[in-house]
Amino acid sequence: MANFKLLSEYYLSLKEKKEEGKKVVAFMSHDNIPEELIDAAGLIPLRMIFAGNDELMDASHDFLSPSTCAFAQSCIGAFSIKPERYKFLELIDYFIVSNHCVSDICASEVIAKYFNIPRLNFYVSYTKTGNSVKYFKLELLDLKKQLEEIKGTEIDAQVLMNSIKKFNNFKKKLLEISNTIISGSQKLKIFHKAMLYGPDILPELDNIILEQSQTQTSDESKDILLTGCSIFIDDYLNSLIEEGGGNVVFFDTWVGFNYYYQIFDEKVINSTKDSMDLLAHRFEKNIYGDHTVPNFLERKVSHIETFYRDHEKKTGKKVGVINHIIKFCDHMSIMSSHLKNQLKEKGIFVLNLERDYSRANRGQLSTRIEAFLEMM
Amino acid sequence: MKAFIGIDIGSLATKIALLDNGNLLDFRTERSTFDFKRIGLNLFNEILEANNLNRDDVFCMSTGYGRHTIAFADDRITEITAHARGVQFFFQEAHSVIDIGGQDSKAILISKKTGNVVDFQMNDKCAAGTGRFLEVMANALEVPIEEIGGLGLQSNEPASISSTCTVFAESEVISLFAQGTKKEDIAAGIHKSIARRVAGMAKRIGVAPLLVFCGGVAKNVAVKKFLEEEFGYEIVIPEHPQLTGAIGAALIAQENNGS
Repeated sequence: MANFKLLSEYYLSLKEKKEEGKKVVAFMSHDNIPEELIDAAGLIPLRMIFAGNDELMDASHDFLSPSTCAFAQSCIGAFSIKPERYKFLELIDYFIVSNHCVSDICASEVIAKYFNIPRLNFYVSYTKTGNSVKYFKLELLDLKKQLEEIKGTEIDAQVLMNSIKKFNNFKKKLLEISNTIISGSQKLKIFHKAMLYGPDILPELDNIILEQSQTQTSDESKDILLTGCSIFIDDYLNSLIEEGGGNVVFFDTWVGFNYYYQIFDEKVINSTKDSMDLLAHRFEKNIYGDHTVPNFLERKVSHIETFYRDHEKKTGKKVGVINHIIKFCDHMSIMSSHLKNQLKEKGIFVLNLERDYSRANRGQLSTRIEAFLEMM
Repeated sequence: MKAFIGIDIGSLATKIALLDNGNLLDFRTERSTFDFKRIGLNLFNEILEANNLNRDDVFCMSTGYGRHTIAFADDRITEITAHARGVQFFFQEAHSVIDIGGQDSKAILISKKTGNVVDFQMNDKCAAGTGRFLEVMANALEVPIEEIGGLGLQSNEPASISSTCTVFAESEVISLFAQGTKKEDIAAGIHKSIARRVAGMAKRIGVAPLLVFCGGVAKNVAVKKFLEEEFGYEIVIPEHPQLTGAIGAALIAQENNGS
């Protein structure tokens, strides 16, 4: 497994921190979990960004129907089987149950309940109205209380502000990496490691950028914007794209843009006294979040079109869009034909690629991706 | 000057075509079996020998399900692109393609301006709407697969087959037969079911005339008829409907290699 080294090193790093007395808080929910708050409480946020396979999905069927999101299935399966490469799952102390989507709720509840992991709750609204922001702040305060109970003391306001600044700088670095001319697989590797380790690897990122900049992307590769569901650790999808002659130049997913674009302006940080207000402000501004309503589709189309035009101006190359839909993600699936049609009207080619993590998918995916690249 | 060979390794059949200067000189078809690499190599060597050609005299482009596993191919292309090009060998004005093979079906939209693929849809996850569906049903009706199309055309009142799943549809067919429904009506219902499913997939990408129907199932007269009913216009079938992938691959090889 290509990422065995990454995951085994991560396990050792996490184990070391546990031996220092730190606790690990895991979560599936993508956009809105305030990891700064977890960090400020002296705890370690662990984001579930691991792809599945037949074995993991099968194992989840003891708990959930096979027509649940394949990512949710795989998360449950990972806890059920605990394969060697996911040994770090044993180190998890708490699991945040949130409502990013229905599968998030189902899987998070199953994981917390049936694998004996104490749960923390954090539920968010999908709108960005005054009331929903107020409600988000209440949830933040509640989560803060839950984390303080674990910590045994209050979370210091200055410590939280420092954590917010630290994560802010971290995301700016990821944005910088995203704008470099390195291959999609290299970027994805960096994003994966970064989203596992967090700002702890800030010093490493500069070196990585330097190393990777010596790898030139072939001019003959077809440029791809990946949207929809993320490509997680141990997923072969990006390899298929590159084997077919494509190169993902932009990850418009929550392992990618949807994570690192959530950056605070320095002025906003400096003018806001209450850190919780800052986090609520970020929630309000997160208009590209997967489940943000209304007008999610319109915003996505506009955002993709803007990238497409800018990219063409900068490089002279057109970008093809691959809309990656993990099976039974109803939200992405329902939106897919509308997204394709609306982008098609603007002259942008889209491949809707729906799949689960089964091995049998590989040849089918490869044919579709290659045909799409040939079409470009 | 090189001649060009296209080899289409399908899940059920391997097809090979030899072109020279854009003319179809020779072609063969054989069942792929599990040992499709050997079948492909045999066909390749046969066609070279039959035409007094050496390996160096030809450029070979592979396509289809097994395209990556053919070591003797010089290059490879997906069956989507290959079929789109291949149908234009027979019909220059082709605007869309429906290909129904043994285990998959696809719809392809071709640009009228450039002749390139502009969109496609595939069903390779489910046997419904493929040649396999027909095989299962022919078996259930105890009718040879070559005759089931003709049988379907004899019906004046096609039975309604509501199941989309091959397994459940087979049960439904057996049940209809047991209830006394005429074989030709059931056969017609089966073909309508395929046509409805494939047409539904094709309409999603906006297929329009000139629509070319290819693949092994294109030889089935009833599927053609019911597809035409679904679309409301005539569809055309090339002289060699199973060869469009192989021919397309050879043409692309020729175009890419400066000939």
